[in-house]
Amino acid sequence: MIIQTIMFYVLAVVTVGAGVMVIASRNPVHSVLFLILAFFNSAGLFVMMGAEFLAMILIIVYVGAVAVLFLFVVMMLNINFAELRAGFLQYLPIGGVIGIILLAELVLVFASGAIDIEVPTTVASPTPPADEITNTQALGDVLYTHYAYLFQGAGFILLIAMVGAIVLTHRRRADVRRQRITDQVARDPKATVQVTDIEPGAEGTWKSD
Amino acid sequence: MQPFVEPDYLPALPELFLAGASVTLLMAGVFIGDRSTRLMTWLACVAMAAAFVMVLVLPDERTTTFFGLFVTDRFAAFMKCLVLVGAAVTLIVGLGYVKREGMNRFEFPVLIVFATLGMLLMISANDLIALYVGLELQSLSLYIVAAFRRDSLRSTEAGLKYFVLGAISSGLLLYGCSMVYGFTGVTGFEGIAEALATTVPGNVAAETGVLIGLVFIAAALAFKVSAVPFHMWTPDVYEGAPTPVTAFFAAAPKVAAMALLLRVFLGPFHELAGQWDQIIIFVSIASMGLGAFAAIGQKNIKRLMAYSSIGHVGYALVGLSAGTPEGIRGVLVYMLIYMVMTLGGFACILAMRQRGQMVEEISDLSGLSKTNPSLALALAIFMFSMAGIPPLAGFFGKLYVFLAAVDEGLYGLAIFGVLASVVGAYYYIRIVKVMYFDQPAEGFDRPVGVELSAVLAGTGIITLFFFAYPAPILAGAEAAAAALMP
Amino acid sequence: MLYYAAPIFLPLFGAVIAGLFGRVIGARGAQLVTCGAMGVAAVMAIVVFTEVVLQGETATIVLFDWFASGDLDVDWLLRFDELTGVMVFVVCVVSFLIHVYSIGYMAHDPHVPRFFAYLSLFTFFMLALVSADNFLQMFFGWEGVGLVSYLLIGFWYKRPSANAAAIKAFIVNRVGDFGFALGILAIFLMFDTVSFDAVFSGAPGMVDAEVTFLGHSFDFLEVACILLFVGAMGKSAQFLLHTWLPDAMEGPTPVSALIHAATMVTAGVFMVARLSPIFEYAPIALSVVTFFGATTAIFAATIAITQNDIKRVIAYSTCSQLGYMFFACGVSAYGAGIFHLTTHAFFKALLFLGAGAVIHAMSDEQDMRKMGGIWRMIPVTYVLMWIGNLALAGIFPFSGFFSKDIILESAFASHTGLGMYAFGLGILAAFLTAFYSWRLLFLTFHGKPRADERVMAHVHEAPPVMWVPLVGLAIGAVVIGYLMLPMVATDIDFWGTSILVLPIHNALEEAHHVDFWVKALPMAVGVLGIGGAFLFYVLKPELPGQLATRARPVYLFLLNKWYFDELYDILFVRSAKYLGRNLWRQGDGAVIDGIGPDGIAAATLSVARRAVRLQSGYVYHYAFAMLLGLAAIVTWYLIAGR
Repeated sequence: MIIQTIMFYVLAVVTVGAGVMVIASRNPVHSVLFLILAFFNSAGLFVMMGAEFLAMILIIVYVGAVAVLFLFVVMMLNINFAELRAGFLQYLPIGGVIGIILLAELVLVFASGAIDIEVPTTVASPTPPADEITNTQALGDVLYTHYAYLFQGAGFILLIAMVGAIVLTHRRRADVRRQRITDQVARDPKATVQVTDIEPGAEGTWKSD
Repeated sequence: MQPFVEPDYLPALPELFLAGASVTLLMAGVFIGDRSTRLMTWLACVAMAAAFVMVLVLPDERTTTFFGLFVTDRFAAFMKCLVLVGAAVTLIVGLGYVKREGMNRFEFPVLIVFATLGMLLMISANDLIALYVGLELQSLSLYIVAAFRRDSLRSTEAGLKYFVLGAISSGLLLYGCSMVYGFTGVTGFEGIAEALATTVPGNVAAETGVLIGLVFIAAALAFKVSAVPFHMWTPDVYEGAPTPVTAFFAAAPKVAAMALLLRVFLGPFHELAGQWDQIIIFVSIASMGLGAFAAIGQKNIKRLMAYSSIGHVGYALVGLSAGTPEGIRGVLVYMLIYMVMTLGGFACILAMRQRGQMVEEISDLSGLSKTNPSLALALAIFMFSMAGIPPLAGFFGKLYVFLAAVDEGLYGLAIFGVLASVVGAYYYIRIVKVMYFDQPAEGFDRPVGVELSAVLAGTGIITLFFFAYPAPILAGAEAAAAALMP
Repeated sequence: MLYYAAPIFLPLFGAVIAGLFGRVIGARGAQLVTCGAMGVAAVMAIVVFTEVVLQGETATIVLFDWFASGDLDVDWLLRFDELTGVMVFVVCVVSFLIHVYSIGYMAHDPHVPRFFAYLSLFTFFMLALVSADNFLQMFFGWEGVGLVSYLLIGFWYKRPSANAAAIKAFIVNRVGDFGFALGILAIFLMFDTVSFDAVFSGAPGMVDAEVTFLGHSFDFLEVACILLFVGAMGKSAQFLLHTWLPDAMEGPTPVSALIHAATMVTAGVFMVARLSPIFEYAPIALSVVTFFGATTAIFAATIAITQNDIKRVIAYSTCSQLGYMFFACGVSAYGAGIFHLTTHAFFKALLFLGAGAVIHAMSDEQDMRKMGGIWRMIPVTYVLMWIGNLALAGIFPFSGFFSKDIILESAFASHTGLGMYAFGLGILAAFLTAFYSWRLLFLTFHGKPRADERVMAHVHEAPPVMWVPLVGLAIGAVVIGYLMLPMVATDIDFWGTSILVLPIHNALEEAHHVDFWVKALPMAVGVLGIGGAFLFYVLKPELPGQLATRARPVYLFLLNKWYFDELYDILFVRSAKYLGRNLWRQGDGAVIDGIGPDGIAAATLSVARRAVRLQSGYVYHYAFAMLLGLAAIVTWYLIAGR
């Protein structure tokens, strides 16, 4: 039990610390790397809660795809972050004060909750017992039945994101010659290939189209 | 594991139909290409009309389906009708603009249908997760259409700003939802209401936690209806987005978000009415005040409409803060009238073209009464109505919410509202003054187009003659309010 | 029963078509549409009259719920009882004939569609007024006719005098309407409803109700009725609020005939008759009505004998005749009042349109001093004017005889002091009526021509489209009095429940049993008046001039209309201007502008500028504002809210 507690605090502290570093570090590549660190630690927290499926998804999707994509983009765009950050410090004091106030208030709320033993009893049991059914299967059981509505809704959101990405970035450039496979396949050799007898030595008998 | 029973799909028929229609339109558009935009627009309107009919013919009584995630009742039907009409009308008024201004892409109507679908889901949400899914479905489509003129710097800026700030608000919403879930243990609206009535009272920690969660949710919803202090995106986005998109923003999503706000506050969190009405009153006063004052200095009419819409949300929230069925009826009537006036107003703005170029400055309207008297008259009607001059529709909208507030003893709020509307009248009437008393500027291009004229005439007549026969609208709103607050 | 609504809405239809599509359908189209709609409406009105009045099939048609706000629940209903039936009949028939006449009269005007649209719109509002089933609907019609009257008086808006007259009519009417609105408010306060039926059935229970105002208590019904009567005074141009009517003659003559003679000005009389179930319980208010009616009758008649503008003479005559109608109502002889309203509508419209034909013939000359000797040139008009004047003067068997007789007899038979006052003044006014009518006739048609030769050469009879409607009105002026006699009969219950007369107010019944001299006197003084006019203007034409010089103050007093315009100018116009100027200079300029609006406006602008400055355009500012708001609300709940 004590090990679990220690693990929890280690993971949680690293997650928060990495989160702070994401916005605080000067080098954008470092920011992305800290983001990945935060994801890993969050995945660890998930594992501790018995949600191993979510933990793996977090690693695969966020670390494996999203964060790596970020990394590429950051490296390719070559944005001068120092310039963007110029205004940042200017607002840091007042922003920090507001942030700390909000944080303190939230801590207050949760701290009172932690002292009060009653609260957890109102929380429904989120997962079925692990010895009966695996985490993945449990999710699958409800995801495609009771939550099919939400699943479809989420599917629509992804579809819109895709449509949006295409609409906002896809351009048909006029100066690029495209390969039109259907045209190539449908082309009739008779219309394009012309077989001509050429008299040796004769001049200028090409018929051009 | 309990056996799975198929949910009843009938109550969600309009949504299912619209979802199918949107995907079909998308596929058709992909194959036909951009020359199908006009066709797609009309087909989208037809789909919305069909959904409208389905909403009307479905049974009125409260039904939940999809295992409690989805609910329909008279309130949902009323709001869905508003949203569908608003969306279809903006598509129609935007036809000319889309064609001329380089937005002639079939995705536009399809995205509007997606957004409308999201709004319908929002209105029918009966669960925090369903709420979030609907909201994101809508918002994502809106971010895209705001940036739809991707070659225009202002349009992309508007889309990006809206996206970033919208993401923050989504974060707030999710945070609030997670707190509510954490302290009540459920996400369904009925479950939350039950928990707030039974297990939470007396438990100080849970009370505080749920309340703070509610504050976060309220902040996110206030962002969506662009209420102060979560309004900052509105002027920039309204100004930068293509005009038909702005018209759409001002009409449909605002109504849908207001519907969601009403349902969340009066459904699951009804028990906390004594707590949340403080937020609503604060937000309402701030919105009315800012809407009145900040609009005065504006030169761009779309920006002015943005502040105007902020102010209108403030007035509508007066009805919610009363918290009575009369107040809710007032909000519903207000939203309906607001939508009609806004659509009319934006139809006028869409007619502001000089030599083929869209213009948006208020000074461009100078002497419009000489160059295009009927357009000037229509805009004057909408402006007077928005200012709340009797006997135009806008006056009755304000009347009903203020009366409800006064009935509940909220005199200060009502008086502030009246004062704010006096200040607000200044900038509305200034537009009338510019049109009627200033030296004529260059006139606008003619003709304004059949679609625009038809919408102008329709909205103008409703605004002008609302007083003659308001009974059916009032009855509809009353039934809707009763469904929400039995 | 739904077809009862047809005569009400057909004119609206015509007005909308002619008004909105006038440019498309042109003058001819507008005339066809409006006259066609009016024609059908007139036929339908006769049907309605037959069914409602003669066969007693009264009905109430529900159009739709209008609105409900708190206790105030108003439906849009059309009430068809005997009173409405008579009014619909009169309005539709007269209006139709005037529509037809206008085709000829307005032939050369460039704004024909607008004119016909107004005319039809007016008819609609008038019909809405008479078919109202509650006070608000009545007010709707009331204000509607006022508005269209304004538009029509100022129809020739390029004439400054027409604009001034239109504004004057509007403002004087506003004074009356204010009273009317207050009256409605009082009714609503006491009865909690504006529906006629509910108010009427509740009226007996309110007899002793009192209102306290400024420390005095007043009988509620009296106050409400007097307020309502103030509205009637404004619209019907009664003494003190009459000044707008003569000036309203600036409008085209058909307008004068329709609005300022036959229909709109009678709205006040109609209103008192309609509200008879309330007025019956307010004896003081009835006395007020009698007093003002009788005073107006004599007052306007004295002015009419000196006026020189042919239309003004008839206008004052209208004023005077309205006075008759009012004092008839004042002595509870509502039937007699409406009877006179009906006959008057026909013969007065006839006189106005006849005057229009004369003006038309005289190349738009309205001054009678520049006419004369034209009766051979326009015989049809001449005959028609004779018929109209005979009816006006109350000569047997023309219609005015029946109605005026019964009114005077009722006044006599009421056996009250005010009744005798009304009777005496009424007899005197009857003499003057005959006198000025024949003065008009003789000055216009007889004697030597006083117009110049060019005008005289041009005198011509009006086209058939103008005189044929006149013949219709003339037939009405001859026979309607006899036909409508049941209105005042005692043995037939003509009015059903639409008019309430308490048994103690039996003047109308008593009127049938007065002495013969009372019955004969009105006609006798009428003949006397004609004789007087004959003496003054045919036998000895120098007499009027001599009389005018000898009794110069009296003549000037009458010629200048008792100096009412001047008096009002000093009392209201100048003092208001003076007050206004001072308030503007001292009050507005110094105090309010300095501290109030200008100060507030300046403050508003500075707030506005600050509010705009918040909008910096930076996303992180916006996000920060959101978080700031959130933190503020959360803090509020954690500290203050708990």
